[in-house]
Amino acid sequence: MKRPKKSKSASHSPWVRLAALRPRFSAFMLDWASWGFIAYGVMYLLNKYWYIRHVNFYGRLTLPGWGWPVVIIATFELALLSHAFSQSIGLSLFGLRLFGPEYAPVPFRRRLARFVALHVGLVLQPLALFGDRPLGSLVHDSDKTGRMLLVAKVKDDLPAEKPRKWYTTYRGLFLAGLLALTFWLGWKITTINLQMLVERIGKSGHIWKDLFTPRFTYLTEPVIPGRTFSLVHYMLETIFMAFFATVTGAIVAFPLSFLGARNIMGFNAFGWLIYSVMRTLFNALRSIESILMAVLFAVWVGFGNPFAGALALFLHTIAALAKLYSEQVEAVDPGPLEAIATTGARRWQVVAYGVIPQIIPSYLAFTLYRWDINIRMATIIALVGGGGIGTLLFYFKNEVGRLDDAWNQVGAVVVAIVVVVWALDYISARVREKIG
Amino acid sequence: MTPQDQYYAGFMSKRPSWTKALRAYRKDLGALIADFVVLIALWGLSSFIWNDLVHGTRDFISVAPWIMLVVCFELALVWESFAVSPGMRLFGRRATDDRNGRAVIGRRFLRVLLLHGLPLFILPILVTTRYIPWQDRLAGFRSVSAAEVPDPRKPWYRTSWMVALAGLAVAMYLASALFTQVDLVKLFTNASATSEIWARIVNPDWSILGLGVRLLIVTLFMAFMATLFGVLVAVPLSFLAARNLAHGIIGRTIYTVLRILMSIVRSIQPFIWAIIFVVWVRTGNAPFAGGLALFVHSVADLTKLYSERLESIDPGPVEAIRSTGANGLQVILYGIVPQIINPYLSFTIYRWDINVRMATIIGLVGGGGIGQRLLQLTRNWVWDQAIVLMLLIMVAVWAMDYSSSRLRERLN
Amino acid sequence: MEELIRIDRLTKVYERGEVLAVNDISFTVKRGEFLVLIGLSGSGKSTLLRCINRLIEPTAGQIVFDGIDVTKASARQLRQLRRRMAMIFQQFNLVKRSSVLTNVLSGRLGYVNPGASAIHKFPKEDLESAFANLERVGIPEQAYKRADELSGGQQQRVGIARALMQRPDLLMADEPVSALDPATAHSVMQYLEQMNQEDGVTVIASLHFLSLARRYGTRILALKDGEIVFEGLPAEIDAAKFKEIYGEEAEEVEVR
Repeated sequence: MKRPKKSKSASHSPWVRLAALRPRFSAFMLDWASWGFIAYGVMYLLNKYWYIRHVNFYGRLTLPGWGWPVVIIATFELALLSHAFSQSIGLSLFGLRLFGPEYAPVPFRRRLARFVALHVGLVLQPLALFGDRPLGSLVHDSDKTGRMLLVAKVKDDLPAEKPRKWYTTYRGLFLAGLLALTFWLGWKITTINLQMLVERIGKSGHIWKDLFTPRFTYLTEPVIPGRTFSLVHYMLETIFMAFFATVTGAIVAFPLSFLGARNIMGFNAFGWLIYSVMRTLFNALRSIESILMAVLFAVWVGFGNPFAGALALFLHTIAALAKLYSEQVEAVDPGPLEAIATTGARRWQVVAYGVIPQIIPSYLAFTLYRWDINIRMATIIALVGGGGIGTLLFYFKNEVGRLDDAWNQVGAVVVAIVVVVWALDYISARVREKIG
Repeated sequence: MTPQDQYYAGFMSKRPSWTKALRAYRKDLGALIADFVVLIALWGLSSFIWNDLVHGTRDFISVAPWIMLVVCFELALVWESFAVSPGMRLFGRRATDDRNGRAVIGRRFLRVLLLHGLPLFILPILVTTRYIPWQDRLAGFRSVSAAEVPDPRKPWYRTSWMVALAGLAVAMYLASALFTQVDLVKLFTNASATSEIWARIVNPDWSILGLGVRLLIVTLFMAFMATLFGVLVAVPLSFLAARNLAHGIIGRTIYTVLRILMSIVRSIQPFIWAIIFVVWVRTGNAPFAGGLALFVHSVADLTKLYSERLESIDPGPVEAIRSTGANGLQVILYGIVPQIINPYLSFTIYRWDINVRMATIIGLVGGGGIGQRLLQLTRNWVWDQAIVLMLLIMVAVWAMDYSSSRLRERLN
Repeated sequence: MEELIRIDRLTKVYERGEVLAVNDISFTVKRGEFLVLIGLSGSGKSTLLRCINRLIEPTAGQIVFDGIDVTKASARQLRQLRRRMAMIFQQFNLVKRSSVLTNVLSGRLGYVNPGASAIHKFPKEDLESAFANLERVGIPEQAYKRADELSGGQQQRVGIARALMQRPDLLMADEPVSALDPATAHSVMQYLEQMNQEDGVTVIASLHFLSLARRYGTRILALKDGEIVFEGLPAEIDAAKFKEIYGEEAEEVEVR
């Protein structure tokens, strides 16, 4: 292929230049954020250990008014430093590297000059959107201060280099430090206390004993006649609830998945709009777990009604399946579609004859997998009034102290859950194996 | 033959002949049981639908159970002798007339009669170590595997097994709709019950944002710690739970015990684990309890994912390293680890993603984090604050989802 | 001979103006010709072919097919034009999980009643001609198999049968034999030759090997970096021309 002469790049519009700067911007924001995280962690731990200021249970930090600007500016400077003097994690994640002329490494003094130039350049950066700079360069990029280039674009011209051990690079040490800090912080924030765990083992000893001696008193008998049902009934309710939600969800998700597939919709602006709206909707719906949706539906159709659970699972299933499905549609082999388009077929005929046969097996596999997940969720959705086997689980759990064999009954419910979940997991895995 | 097959071929080849006979027998028996189950399911589901719609009762059987069992058993036998049943399809069995023509009805009935004895046909295997399909021998049929007789091409609605399965699916769907009390009318008439919620949701009370963010941090750390410790435990366990690495009686025993244990632990939701851990750990340490629950589930899940990946590694490099005289640890370090490092990372990120999702809701049973406060708020009907927490969860989960999928893309 | 296609100053630019795939190309194809495009990988052969039926939108220029301007055709006109231009592909581009018969029948999608095609119902004469075409390419017994069960050569024959179903005026073949071994390659090329000579279908084929081009083409068009570097009869390509098209280090390879 032929590349047009270099002079053409001068004619890029400011928008194209702005888009080309995205990796550099993202890399810097990531570095800034990681330094911010370190600052937060250090302050938290300082407070925790030296009681400089009180830290409450959830780790509230109270800084004086001038404290925040100091933290923000300090972390900003640290990010700038790590950008000018080394290969920071942001730069390596977005595939950027600082090069001198002829891809030589940049010496320390030049880097110092770059750090100074970075400050001078801060206010002048909008100028980078105009003029005839190469794409993706900022005002402080020059032969003197080095140029920040995407490694992927210039990798053919790079001299061969021996990879360095991780503990000799700034990036490796930084990551290791970050991990250690996070670990320490996590230990404190999640209130991990192994000593207490061991000491209180006796407290839970009888629970384990009771759980392992389940009592199936209510296998087919209702727990409270007239008000609740039997274990088997609730188990069936769970399975059916999940089945209904999965099938209905799959039926709705099937057409939606084409609207959320870039290769089907992305031919014009209108299609692109629908695609984006659909994807945003899927992602938003998907990020709310169905048990949280069930809180609302329990109010809507009645507390303890399996319909509430089914609706919540259904809504979440649509989003989850539509996203998985549309990713499958995007991953289809484009060759056959091309071939069918050349026969003069309409767009939907291309979908019907080229896309659908390719995606059917993975659709089935995903639907089965979703049924699996829905069954698991259906076992606990009763906590917020969604019906199913969880009704009994939480009923007996709340009766602890009032009922002598409450934990034994919980054990029976857990055994029932394990059996059903395990069996369905096994069956669906076998079927998926067969399809795939 | 895939590399794995070659790898296992060693201990697969020395099978005594009676196990072969048993396997052939198992196919015929399996087909029969499968058909029996399909028929019972069809009967049960349709009578449930009938009873619910007509009598308003919720019974799966309205006759004596033994009648249902006997009738279904007989029907299964007839089905297998007169058509291709789902069970035969599943186990890849066909019965053809010896002369390759259409069997006369009399002989098909004879086959039905003989099939009654199928459960007893296991006895000759124990003596002769051979399986003789008497039901076909005596009725002049030939039992063959499906591969030997090509099926005539028929549209799905003209094959009994497809029609039956389609009917089963429809019945299952209808029954599930009735069982879960799906009521679209109620959905609309009762909508007003939620009007107050919607009214509060559209006016979020942002004063809880600060607390929400702090709770979110706790939640994220809960997921992080659970994943980290989960990985630390699951990585060594996965080597013990991989079939191709389990040698000797001790190795096989450990493998079997671990796999069973892990699949049991995995099928119990972190939620249920949290219930136990909340009692165990003091209530003041709620995030610890939630983290422990996530940790236990992560270990089981990751061990399964990891060891399955281990089982599908390419045995070639392992063999090559072993042939240089390397010891067990060296074989693992140089032959296996380079092959699994990226998939392991990918699974870990995937699990972290799941843990973040679970951590947001594990608080519902007292496991700490943002979910605990959210449940309190909804119970107290403070929806204007609850929606703020929900939005925070959405943002966190979405960000996690996005970054984890980007990271995994990069790994592959 | 009557002119079937006229291509006028065709240009295609990729990636925001950074790659010129086809640069200002003009030529005509006469009815009944067997035109062969040769050139290195990335010389623009595929792009050129795909511009003709607008699988790829050309950036500039004009393509006139049988008196109709393809570049200005509406979606509906384009579908009708595409019915008359069949295409076969390097990777066969069959729907792998569908049966061979369905793949062949999909060649009629532009003609049949769209409603009936939605439930995979085709007219009887289409079914008959599908079997006839499979017979013609020598694989009638494979009709009910899944497409991915077939060997590469057989898959390409299915591709030809699908093209035949369109009863095209023009057949475009995008490297039809570069995924096949030499013996199969010749048998596939012979089917194209047969279509060209017996049915009078105009063929434009892009080929990798000059020997194949010499054997089957009535005229050769050589592309390099998106520009035409040679146009003429197969016999006119000598060693010097060859070096110009394929570069200095190339050696001519014979495909038997």
